[in-house]
Amino acid sequence: MKSGLKTLRGRGRVGASILVAGTLALGLAACSGGSDSSSGLSGDTLKMYTWIGGKPDKQQWSDYIAGGKHADPKVAVSFSGPPINDYYTKLPTVMKSSSAPCLVTFQNGRVNPYVQGLEPLDDLAKKNKLDLSAYSSAMLEQLSVDGKLYAIPFNAGPNVIFYNKKLFKDAGVAEPTSNWTVDDFISTAKATTKNGVYGFAIGQGSTPISTLMAADGHPYADKNGPKLDDPNFKNALQLLVDLANKYKVAKPLEAAAGGTFPDIDAFSTGQAAMSLEGLWDLQHEQQTLGKDNVGIAVIPSTSGKSKGFISGSGFGITKTCGDKQKAFQAVEAMTSKSGLEFVTKSQASVPARLDALDAWTTNVGSPTFAAVIKQMTFDATPSPVPSDQAQLDTLLTQYEVDAFSGKSTVAQVLQQVKAGLGQ
Amino acid sequence: MTFVRLDQAEKEVSSGSVAPQDRPRGRARRRPLGGPRWVGWVFVLPGLVGLAVFIVIPQLASLILGFSNSTLLGGTQFTGTANYVRLLHDPQFLNSVLVTAIFVLVYVPANIGISMAMALWLKTRIAGRNWLRVIFLIPALSPMVANAAVFRLLFQKDGAVNEGLQAIGLGPIPWLSDGNWALAVVIGVSLWQSFGYNMIVLGAGLDSISPDVIAASRIDGAGRFRRLFSITLPLVSPALFFTTVLTVIGAWQTFAQAYVITGGGPGNSTMTIMLYLYQTAFTNNELGYASAIATVLFLIIAIFTLFQLWGQRKWVHYD
Repeated sequence: MKSGLKTLRGRGRVGASILVAGTLALGLAACSGGSDSSSGLSGDTLKMYTWIGGKPDKQQWSDYIAGGKHADPKVAVSFSGPPINDYYTKLPTVMKSSSAPCLVTFQNGRVNPYVQGLEPLDDLAKKNKLDLSAYSSAMLEQLSVDGKLYAIPFNAGPNVIFYNKKLFKDAGVAEPTSNWTVDDFISTAKATTKNGVYGFAIGQGSTPISTLMAADGHPYADKNGPKLDDPNFKNALQLLVDLANKYKVAKPLEAAAGGTFPDIDAFSTGQAAMSLEGLWDLQHEQQTLGKDNVGIAVIPSTSGKSKGFISGSGFGITKTCGDKQKAFQAVEAMTSKSGLEFVTKSQASVPARLDALDAWTTNVGSPTFAAVIKQMTFDATPSPVPSDQAQLDTLLTQYEVDAFSGKSTVAQVLQQVKAGLGQ
Repeated sequence: MTFVRLDQAEKEVSSGSVAPQDRPRGRARRRPLGGPRWVGWVFVLPGLVGLAVFIVIPQLASLILGFSNSTLLGGTQFTGTANYVRLLHDPQFLNSVLVTAIFVLVYVPANIGISMAMALWLKTRIAGRNWLRVIFLIPALSPMVANAAVFRLLFQKDGAVNEGLQAIGLGPIPWLSDGNWALAVVIGVSLWQSFGYNMIVLGAGLDSISPDVIAASRIDGAGRFRRLFSITLPLVSPALFFTTVLTVIGAWQTFAQAYVITGGGPGNSTMTIMLYLYQTAFTNNELGYASAIATVLFLIIAIFTLFQLWGQRKWVHYD
């Protein structure tokens, strides 16, 4: 009887062990992405993970897919994803999961931290005879890491100055020219600062700094990471602090959660006459402030010969995608001349191809807009996007507040950011 | 609400001070309903599987990851105790421990004090006290992320709070641009959000006090303060203990308030351990190091909780 009980207990232990091992295996299987021929597809439809902040984003992706279909009727893509401020946090988890998509999207050229899960596209481009010279070389460089291309750009999003034409008119200020300088910018901001409206709204993180640096031809990062010791980096941040504290033409930055955009909110609500934004915000600003009320201008530079800062967006293909050829064909179609021209019929985002810009000028923009975009996109300062870009933005957002409050100097802030990055 | 101290009850039964009359003896004691022993395991199995899948396995995985250099998209390399050695020399982590400790030291007594005061106030014969209880509980039921957006607007430089202060000749106060004030905002918002829950629990504890005991103390001539400190507080001490333990645990794990209101800034003045852990894992993509932080946080909370369990015998009355 006793031995029988022992056998039963032994079997029980074996059963329990199998149960635990099975549970662990199931858990691990659920956490790791597979790579069979159906991975990242739902039937014949490619799955795409992207940022979706609301109806405008949904419409945008639907339009890009419709553009792809217009160029190649076989294109079938479905999409899902969180708002942009959660997107990059969730992206690695999604790429690693068993339900990893075939296609992912990147804004501001931020492919670097994710290349381990991305398929290099150079060979596929060669195989499919895709002419990469149709895209801005600065944009392709931003979407490449160590000489390998990881995303095909669909949207040329150079950062530009948005300005509120009505507020300019009310202040009696001339609209910016293509060769305006930083001094001109400050004078304009001073003139438009009145009646509770600031002349300029400062954004958080590295974007305003990198854009101001690029305007004078200085890249904010190199292959070693952000150039925090570069005097131009310090000067750019100092200019932003001075705009708030010395010239009193902008609201000082305060502590805020990452992924929030108080500067865009201030411009959209008419509390600031100018802001520095990516061109993808154009449609949103036009819808909020009126289509004819929003102007765009080049970034002011010291010399007056402004260069652009590319924030190109692109489609990438995951390593786990079950049909990479099909995925590439879809990307090729969505970024083709006819595909992007089709998108300009309903979207204000600027096509990544120069040969589709004429359609954009006709459908959405104006010759003035096109001139700004050409200057900012095709005469841009090339700069790699460092792998610790997200960390840089988080640390700058936290520490730059101390420079605005006067608790620290700009140099001290940059030292603290440098320490945080472990440089 | 009745609180029974189980270890004390067991002790009394085993020492004979309470007769274990109803307790069956021998094998029958183990299987009062008969049937094989594994039947019991079948009943608890769903709970055990849930515990294993959602608590034990993730905790073990986190513990193991703490000894590795791991990223989400890259591989995992075993690095021994390197992450823990790094923690000892990481000024950002040490700062986050200090910030969280300050938060705990200010937030917990304030929370318990306010909750107790409100519970006592609502125990009086005030009109509409049930409605007031519901109203005070609403912040605890509303999502922190939505609240934070409102609080950020209220506390910004030209927000409603500073406008109100300036109207009476005070301020403006740099709520979100000075580290100390920013931490005060995070603590204040946390208090606003969470005192209602503790107030309800303590209110239930107060309601369970027999009116006869209070009446007897009145007859004995006990004044208002004597009644509060010698009768009410000792009798409500199990509820106080319960709320304190949960509040301390929650305070060490503070995340959402700092994440959505200040993002850890200005500088690192509101960088709590949980927020630093989150940034390490999902912004810096260092899962191994983040797991080591999680283990240390778990140990800190375990030590504080055990200390409270040990200390309860001196002030918690289960009679």
